[in-house]
Amino acid sequence: MMLKSRLAGAAMAALLSTAAMAQSGPIKIGLSGPMTGGSASMGVSMRDGAKLALAEVNKAGGVLGRQVQFVERDDEGKNELGVQIAQELINKEQVIATVGFINTGVALAAQRFYEEAEIPVINNVATGTIVTRQFLPPEYKFNYIFRTSANDSIQSAMVAEAVKKAGYTKPAIIADSTNYGQLGRADLEKALTERGLKTVAVEKFNIGDTDMTAQALRAKDAGADVVLTYAIGPELAQTVNAVVKLGWKVPVMGSWTLSMASFIDAAGANSEGVLMPQTFIQVPSTPKRKSFIEAYQAAYKVDRIPSPVSAAQGYDSILLLTAAIEQANSTDGTKIRAALENLNNKIDGVVTNYDHPFTATDHEAITSNIPVLGTVKGGRVVPANPADVEGADALRLKPKA
Amino acid sequence: MQNFLQILVSGISVGMIYGVIAFGYQLTFSTSKTLNFGQGEALTLGALVGLTAVSVLIGFSFGNLWAYLLALPIVFVFGMMQGTVVEWLGVRQAIRTKSEAGWIMATIALGIIFKNMAEHIWGKDPLKFPSPVSEVPLNFWGVKVRLMEIIIVLGALAMMLGVELFNRRSIYGKAVVATANDRDAAGLMGINTSQVITFSYALSSLSAALAGVLIAPITLTGANMGAALGLKAFAVAIIGGLSSGLGVVVGGLILGITESLTGFYFDTGYKDVPGLILLLLVLSFKPAGLFGKTAIKKV
Repeated sequence: MMLKSRLAGAAMAALLSTAAMAQSGPIKIGLSGPMTGGSASMGVSMRDGAKLALAEVNKAGGVLGRQVQFVERDDEGKNELGVQIAQELINKEQVIATVGFINTGVALAAQRFYEEAEIPVINNVATGTIVTRQFLPPEYKFNYIFRTSANDSIQSAMVAEAVKKAGYTKPAIIADSTNYGQLGRADLEKALTERGLKTVAVEKFNIGDTDMTAQALRAKDAGADVVLTYAIGPELAQTVNAVVKLGWKVPVMGSWTLSMASFIDAAGANSEGVLMPQTFIQVPSTPKRKSFIEAYQAAYKVDRIPSPVSAAQGYDSILLLTAAIEQANSTDGTKIRAALENLNNKIDGVVTNYDHPFTATDHEAITSNIPVLGTVKGGRVVPANPADVEGADALRLKPKA
Repeated sequence: MQNFLQILVSGISVGMIYGVIAFGYQLTFSTSKTLNFGQGEALTLGALVGLTAVSVLIGFSFGNLWAYLLALPIVFVFGMMQGTVVEWLGVRQAIRTKSEAGWIMATIALGIIFKNMAEHIWGKDPLKFPSPVSEVPLNFWGVKVRLMEIIIVLGALAMMLGVELFNRRSIYGKAVVATANDRDAAGLMGINTSQVITFSYALSSLSAALAGVLIAPITLTGANMGAALGLKAFAVAIIGGLSSGLGVVVGGLILGITESLTGFYFDTGYKDVPGLILLLLVLSFKPAGLFGKTAIKKV
C-alpha cells in the first residue's frame, strides 16, 4: 500500500514536471491534412497558407509571449490514419488545438478524440455539413469543433440556385463514394428538391476509378441537361473527360473542388466553363488578399496557388485560433473554446473580416452570403460574374446574429 | 444497342489493361511459383518514367507521337531493370531458402519503397500525360472510341504475342518454358534456372510498365495510379488462372466488361461487385482459375 502510493506520487511528480516544461517551450498546434494522394493539393495549400499566418504571428512576438509551432501530420485523406494522428497529437505531442482536416470522412472519424480531450479543432477545409454538428449540446457539454470553410449545405444551395436560375430542369448528379461525395450528394438532392427540381440520374464511382463512361452515359441516357458533381480532382477530370468523349455538350457544375489544380490540369480544355462555389478566388480584390497572394507566391515560388480556397481558409483559421489563445490568456482547451465563441477583437482575414465569427451555438464562420461562383477560364479559376468581387461586393461579411 | 457497344468498348480497354498486368503475374508465377506484389508500383514507375522521357523528347521538338514511340524502348529497358532489382533483392533469397512467404513480404515492401520514391521524385499530385494521338474520339456508327483505347488493345495484344513467339521460337524462350514445366529437371539439363527466373521478373515488370504507358494518356499519371489496378489485376489472375497466359487475358476482359456493364445497366455504385462474386465462385469451384491446370501438390 505504502509502496503503491509512493509510486503514484513519483508518477505525479514526473507528470507535473513535464507539464511545467511545456509551459516554457513553444505553444504546439496540431495540423492534420492530406499531403499525399488525390486531395494533396488542398492539404498542401492549406498547410502553406497556415504557415504564412503562423510566421506573421511569431514575427509579431508570438502568443502569450511564446512562439507558436505546428506539429504537422500527413493523414493521406485516410480515415484510420486521421484517427491515429489525432491520438498522437493529443497524447504524445500534447497540442493545445488542431487545425486542418480536408476530407470530411477523416474529420468525422478523428474529431471524437479532440472532443473527449476538450481540445478545440478548427476545420479549415472539410465541408461536410455534419462536421460541426457531431457533438452538439445538450448531449455533449460543449462543442469543440469549429469551421472556417463553406459547408456543403451552403455550397449545394448555391449550386441548386444556379441550376434553377439558368433554367435547367433535368439535373444529373455524379459523385464519388466517399463520405464527402455521398453526404454532399444528399445535401445537393435536398437543395434541388426544395427548389422543385428532381434529379434524372444519380451516379457513383470509387476513388481511383479510371473510366467513367458508364456513369456519363447513364446520365446522358436519362436526358440530363446539366451535370452536377461531388468528388475530388483526379476523378472529376475523368468524369468531365468521359462526358466530352461521348460528344455530349452539357454544362458541368459542382462543389468547390472543381477549382482543384489537379482537376484543371488533368481535364485541360474540358475543364473550361465549369461552375463552382468559392470562398476565395486568386484575385487581389482587397488589400489583405493582395498581400496574401503576393506573400504566398514569394514564399512558395508559384504563380497559381494550387488550391486558393484551402490556402486562404488555412491562413484565416490560424489568425482566429491565435487571437482566441491570446484572449483566453491560457493554453487550456476549455478557455480557448470559450474565447473562440466570443472573440472580441475584429480580425481582418483573407476570405472575410471576422467580427465575432462564432457563438456558443454557431460554429460556422462562413455564411451563405460569403462564397461566390467561380469558373475555369484559361486554366485558372476566375469569378463567374466579375462584379461579385468588385467594389463593395468584394468583401462579404457574416450577418450579425 | 449503341449504348451497349459504347459500354463494351470501355470495358474492353479497361479489361485489356487488367489483362496485361495480370500477364505479368503469370510470367513470374510460371517459372518460380512466386509473384511480384509490387506489380501496381511497377506500372506506376513505368508510366512516370515514360512521362519524363516523353516530356524531355517533346522538349527536343519531337511531335507527341514520335516522342511516345521513342520513349517506349526507354520504358521497356527501365521496366526490365526494375524487375531485375525486385528479383535480386526480394525473391532470390526466398527461393534459395525455400521460404514459403518471405517473397510476399519482400515484394510488398519493395512496392512501398518504389511508391515512396515515385512520390519523392515526381511529387504527389497526379500529372497529365501528353497524349500521343488525337484525343478527339472517333465515331463508329454513333459509338465514340478514343484512338488511345484502340492502341491499348493493340499494344496489349502485341506484347503478349511477342512473349508467346519468343517462348515458342527462340532457344532462350525454350529455356523459359522448360523451367516453367519442371524447374529441377531444367536445371539438370544445364539450364541456368535462376537466370531464367530473373529474366521472367524483368519481363513481368516490363509488361506492367507497358500497361502504365498505355493507360497513362487516358487517365492521369501519379504515384498512386497503380495500387487499385494492381489489385484488380490480381483478381483477374485468380479468375483466369495463374498458369495460363490466355487465361489472364480472358480473365481481364471478363472483369473489365462485367464492371462496365453492371455500372451501366444496374447501378454504378455496384460496379465492383460482380467481379468479386466471380472471384469467389472461381475460388470455390475451380481454384486453379477458369483456364488453369489443376496441379496436385505432393507433400
